[in-house]
Amino acid sequence: MSVLAPAGSPPPSPGPVIPSFGGGSSCVVQNRQFCGAWFVDNFGSRFAPRLVEHIELTGIAVGVGMVIALAAALIAHRLGWFETPFSLLSAFLYTIPSLAFFELMVQVTGINRFTAEIALVSYTLLILFRNTLAGLRAVPPDALEAAQAMGLSRRQTLIRVELPLALPPIMAGLRIATVTTISLATVAAYIGAGGLGEPIFDGIQTGFKTEFIAAGVLAIALALAADGLLVAAQRLLTPWARRRRA
Amino acid sequence: MISGEDTQVAATRPATTAAPIAFLNVSKRYPGRAQAAVGNLSFEVPSGEICVLIGPSGCGKTTALKMVNRLIPMTDGDITIDGRSVNALQVSQLRRGIGYVFQQIGLFPHMTVEGNIGTVPRLLGWSKARIRERALELLQLVGLGSEDDLRRYPGEFSGGQQQRIGVARAMAVDPPIMLMDEPFGAIDPITRDRLQDDFLRLHREVRKTIIFVTHDIDEAIKMGDRIAIMRDGRLVQIDTPDNLLAAPADEFVADFVGADRGLKRLRVWTLNDLELDPLSGDTLPSAPAATSLRDALSLMLTAGATSVAVLGQDGTATGSVSLEAIAAMLGPEPRAPAP
Repeated sequence: MSVLAPAGSPPPSPGPVIPSFGGGSSCVVQNRQFCGAWFVDNFGSRFAPRLVEHIELTGIAVGVGMVIALAAALIAHRLGWFETPFSLLSAFLYTIPSLAFFELMVQVTGINRFTAEIALVSYTLLILFRNTLAGLRAVPPDALEAAQAMGLSRRQTLIRVELPLALPPIMAGLRIATVTTISLATVAAYIGAGGLGEPIFDGIQTGFKTEFIAAGVLAIALALAADGLLVAAQRLLTPWARRRRA
Repeated sequence: MISGEDTQVAATRPATTAAPIAFLNVSKRYPGRAQAAVGNLSFEVPSGEICVLIGPSGCGKTTALKMVNRLIPMTDGDITIDGRSVNALQVSQLRRGIGYVFQQIGLFPHMTVEGNIGTVPRLLGWSKARIRERALELLQLVGLGSEDDLRRYPGEFSGGQQQRIGVARAMAVDPPIMLMDEPFGAIDPITRDRLQDDFLRLHREVRKTIIFVTHDIDEAIKMGDRIAIMRDGRLVQIDTPDNLLAAPADEFVADFVGADRGLKRLRVWTLNDLELDPLSGDTLPSAPAATSLRDALSLMLTAGATSVAVLGQDGTATGSVSLEAIAAMLGPEPRAPAP
């Protein structure tokens, strides 16, 4: 049931294709740039679930990516030769165009969220691996010598000294990876992963501007909020970084 | 060498421990190098003494030091602490019993002062309250120490203060011995002098056995109960600062301690060490009895006098010391300082 533009003003081709978004509001009927009232009415039913999906998609991708990158960085930190192959692999994954990547993976793992996560995780590896390794390598050698001379074991040194001191660059990597993933995850709707990409694709298909603008703005807001949260977390976790002698 | 007064001071504090260290024919060779970095090193550091290792760079002094806590493994020989080989213990256990202070300090920038000092105690399972109490006690011992300082981060302190914290951290679990690798080497001269004085005072209280590496002969003379001079990985001479300055074993040692070794010796003694002449009645420059002979000499030369009045505890002159008396100390047959 499509709602046509008011008679008398023949629409420019191909004509508004507003689907069943409720014909009540003239804003919706005329498909104006952004219909605030419609957005508010439909937020709970159409956007909130997608927003939650999007957060899940991103959280899982960045979380799994961080675990893999941390493990790889720890290996590369002990075994220098490991850095080059893993860097090359993660850089290669990073260069694959996202749509092509999703499409390729569909042939292996099907149209589902798991497929999307594989691609999203792959994109986080480069930045997370490089930053984590750089952080581990930037730990001051004198702190390591002190730890060794105090009788700390390798594991104790890693947990108590190296990882905490590597935290600022790790957090910087997490911020970039998170914001990038939030943006990339919208494409994942293409293979049925859900998230804010769904209303964006939908809006593009139907031509209903309010829908894809609202979803796009939500994705941007989510990225800003996530970045802000990570900054706050970093300040909380690295109090020493701000406290310097004047 | 513990005098009566010192033992009294030590007795007022909670019992502290010290242990003798012995090097027994210790060698360190690196593969592919003909000369040993350390060759056949043998000497003993009695309990509670500061032994300074000194020599030109590359002489093996730091290598020798780091073999004690096995930061560098020795190739041959043995090092014992209190008669037990350092190789007989698990390395982490060995190191927890040895305080280590080095030039770069190595405080953990992400931990508060309390966290830094409490690192080893935490590993040993001390309670929070006990760690806090110990950290505060140690901070006060090294001349810092408001409760506030405990919660601050190393980056908020000056270099000299950081090294004080470094010393406090090294003493956290009251190790019987301490290794100090040019601990004051990166600190400006005025602060260094204060740190040295404070550390000597601290040492009189806690009486650890200390091996102290430096390349600065003045620091060695000031800090060492005994000084071991090394060259090319070998021990050239080990003796008290006074004997070393009075009777260098060879040309190299004489060179190393410097042409002004006579003046340096004057630094080892104070006016207290000389028998006082009666006061003559002339107006003389005056100095407290704890003044070094070097400073007293300088005072005489500056004032154009040939004697200096010695002030007792209450600030009144108790006698005088003459230029001749000082010169006699340095004579070819040095007279032993008065007990």
